[in-house]
Amino acid sequence: MAPAEGQPVQTIEMMMSNTETIPGHSIVQMLGVVTGSTVRAKHIGKDILAGFKNIVGGELKGYTELLQEARAQALQRLVMEASSRGANAIVNIRFATSAIAGGAAELMAYGTAVVVG
Amino acid sequence: MPQNEVNLFTSFGLPLLFIFGPLLFSWIFGNIYQKKKQEELGARVQAFGTDNLSTLKTPPGQVSASGLLSANIIMSVSWWQKLLGGIKTVFGGQVETWDGILAWARREAMQRLREQARARGYDNVINVRLETSEIQSSKGRNTAIEILAYGTGIKI
Repeated sequence: MAPAEGQPVQTIEMMMSNTETIPGHSIVQMLGVVTGSTVRAKHIGKDILAGFKNIVGGELKGYTELLQEARAQALQRLVMEASSRGANAIVNIRFATSAIAGGAAELMAYGTAVVVG
Repeated sequence: MPQNEVNLFTSFGLPLLFIFGPLLFSWIFGNIYQKKKQEELGARVQAFGTDNLSTLKTPPGQVSASGLLSANIIMSVSWWQKLLGGIKTVFGGQVETWDGILAWARREAMQRLREQARARGYDNVINVRLETSEIQSSKGRNTAIEILAYGTGIKI
């Protein structure tokens, strides 16, 4: 099945939730905090195109897609780390974005790796 | 005298055109474009019907499946709005241009989350969070705002 828009290409079966538990399951074991992050800079061409788009304002689609992909990768890394710890779910996932100098941005996802029953 | 007229045009007219031409263009087309897009969003919200988002942490009832959902959008103000905003920051007070853009971006991000939830077969989205962050171009001249909406989709 092709991944839905904005979702990571998942090779590992992992339940994810930003609530404190996976709804309908109970936590058996906690395996600590896992993080996944990626730093992305924009392509200069996209930057110039966005400059033109600024004439009328509104959505900058190129950037929206870029950050979507980047966030998907951060989630992918989160899943990899959790699975290497033997977790089958990640709960209480949070996203954080921080601007780094020179037009680059760091996208991070973090959560708690758990085993649910 | 025609010679003088040409001089007047090149010395005042052209610079004025270069300064205010793009701004005028930005004002007219920016307004038309943004209004059109906002109406499109309004129609989408209307067509969608119910609101399946919730900020509650507990699901309303028994859950059979769940999954993380996220939707984002990056928005920027037009040149004209940037100018108005810049003037406003001198005097302080409410900056209406950014006000409108942010509210619009948030509505759009939330609508995308709703549509994504429905497309993936979830009935509701619980624990919805909205996050705002600033995106800058490499030269730091243009500032854009990213709105991220995420939550847990649940099937009841």
